[in-house]
Amino acid sequence: MSRALKYFLVVVALVAALAPVYWMFTISLKSEVDHFALPPPWFNFTPTLEHYFEAFVARSFGQYLITSAIVAVISTLCALVLGTLAAYALARFRLPYDLDRRLSLWILSTRMFPAIVTAVPLFLMMRDLRLLDTKASLIIVYTAFNLPFVVWMMRGFFDEVPRDLEEAALVDGDSRLGALVRVVLPLVAPGLAATAVFCLIVSWNEFLFALVLTQTDASMTLPVGIAGRVTQYEIKWGVMSAAGAVAIVPILVFAMAMQKYLVRGLSLGAVKG
Amino acid sequence: MGIKFQNVTKAFGDTLVVDDLSLEIADGEFVVLLGPSGCGKTTTLRMLAGLETITTGDVYIGGERINDVQTQHRDLAMVFQSYALYPHMTIAENIAYPLRVRKLDKPERTKRVTSVARMLEIESLLDRKPRQLSGGERQRVALARAIVREPRAYLMDEPLSNLDARLRVQMRGELKRLQHQLGTTTIYVTHDQAEAMTLATRVAVMSRGRLQQFDTPLNIYNRPANRFVAEFVGSPSMNFIDGKIESGAFVSESIRIPVTRENADQLTIGIRPEHISVLTEPQNNATPATVYVTELMGNETFVFLSVGTNKLIARAAADFRAELESPVWLRIDAEKAHYFDRQTGLSI
Repeated sequence: MSRALKYFLVVVALVAALAPVYWMFTISLKSEVDHFALPPPWFNFTPTLEHYFEAFVARSFGQYLITSAIVAVISTLCALVLGTLAAYALARFRLPYDLDRRLSLWILSTRMFPAIVTAVPLFLMMRDLRLLDTKASLIIVYTAFNLPFVVWMMRGFFDEVPRDLEEAALVDGDSRLGALVRVVLPLVAPGLAATAVFCLIVSWNEFLFALVLTQTDASMTLPVGIAGRVTQYEIKWGVMSAAGAVAIVPILVFAMAMQKYLVRGLSLGAVKG
Repeated sequence: MGIKFQNVTKAFGDTLVVDDLSLEIADGEFVVLLGPSGCGKTTTLRMLAGLETITTGDVYIGGERINDVQTQHRDLAMVFQSYALYPHMTIAENIAYPLRVRKLDKPERTKRVTSVARMLEIESLLDRKPRQLSGGERQRVALARAIVREPRAYLMDEPLSNLDARLRVQMRGELKRLQHQLGTTTIYVTHDQAEAMTLATRVAVMSRGRLQQFDTPLNIYNRPANRFVAEFVGSPSMNFIDGKIESGAFVSESIRIPVTRENADQLTIGIRPEHISVLTEPQNNATPATVYVTELMGNETFVFLSVGTNKLIARAAADFRAELESPVWLRIDAEKAHYFDRQTGLSI
């Protein structure tokens, strides 16, 4: 492939990826009149923070943001703790009747059906548990949703760690859990970071369950809150863009902080270091 | 502390890896488990460490039955073939690990790590990470981690096999001194007979999961219990000739060696290469042979010989020279010969 064509494709990909982001940021800073101007003022408009003010001061987007953060962080932590322990057990212990392999496949299979299938049953269950419209319901659902992913990712990373290391730790006098925490986990830290980023993004962006399980500002997350500004009478492009722009920031910061692990994590096992 | 295996068996599915092993090791002994790969020696060591379950039988450490004691409570120290150094910790942290999990306070830890590091001459490496070390240095760190506390026994699983030849000989000597200094019971697994002979107070030779012989290195070499031990120990390997004893001589199709033994059929004679002298002139009672090939080792020469259909190896002086296919004569020291039952392989 010629160089020119390569760069052309890179530019196409970049535009495709960044154009919506650019559009959202500019909309969030334009006054309402400029939203619909034709041709659109690409850069030469007078920026305004009125939409940000409306979203986060006049309306409850600040609260949605906090709810989103709480739900995403706690569910990610839960999924990581539970999933890592399960993955370690599946990677290290052979169960009778090939049960370890069957269990792994069964765990994976929970990801095979479309999420919407579980929406109604989950709604009914949460209603009976009196958990509708609570953060807890979302934390439970997101944890369950992310678990299979964590188990499979982490199992792969654990497989890469030589057993000798844990056995050495055991002989040295450490417990299983101690060996896991002090010896194995530090070695799979890049993998753990990559998995965490993925879980966080999934929970942060999740829309369907949040829409079904939340009703009021008490438990509404950002995606639902943003979508709620599309109403019968008007579509608040400015407010939605302002909230969207803010919603990107935490994930962006987190992913950048984790970047050096991300590359290593996703390629862990490809190259033995 | 003393260690005892009593009728220990290990099965993986239907495969018996260790078959009815009984072994009693005295306190302070250096016992080498010797055998070819797959003979069950490593599995035996891992059962002692608690890294494999024991299928049947009992294992005792210092009189305490430890079958159901978890690895971390057995108070043993192990050196792995791969060294198994913790890659994310510095050398000092690696060595201190067994102390850290035992909750020793920091000053005491530092003190012990420093003293062990001094003993093994790795003080200058303490701040480095394992990947910055050479094989020999890693080996020392693995040893240091084992001896930093006073365990009931040291277990070593082919600890020298990843080192180059020169370093291996050097470390072998140091290991022997170290064990002598510490006086702690040591069980050492290897397939290298030179390590077994030089290190062990007693050698346990294993084959196919079974203990073949458990004795001092000298007895293993001079009085092998069966043909397997005789063949496995010694380099180059012992010569075996099938034949029978008839009126005061061992007779095979092409060799006749005068011996003082009773008549017997169906036996195999075993002769070490150093007990065959190669003569270039015919002599009384010497067996004629032809030179197949010679291997000059520098300090000695291995002479490969054809005697009829038999191939023999003899050890000759460094200045021994002979053309290929040239005729020579062999004098076999029948006094030093070993005899094995051809069916059972047992020494008779």
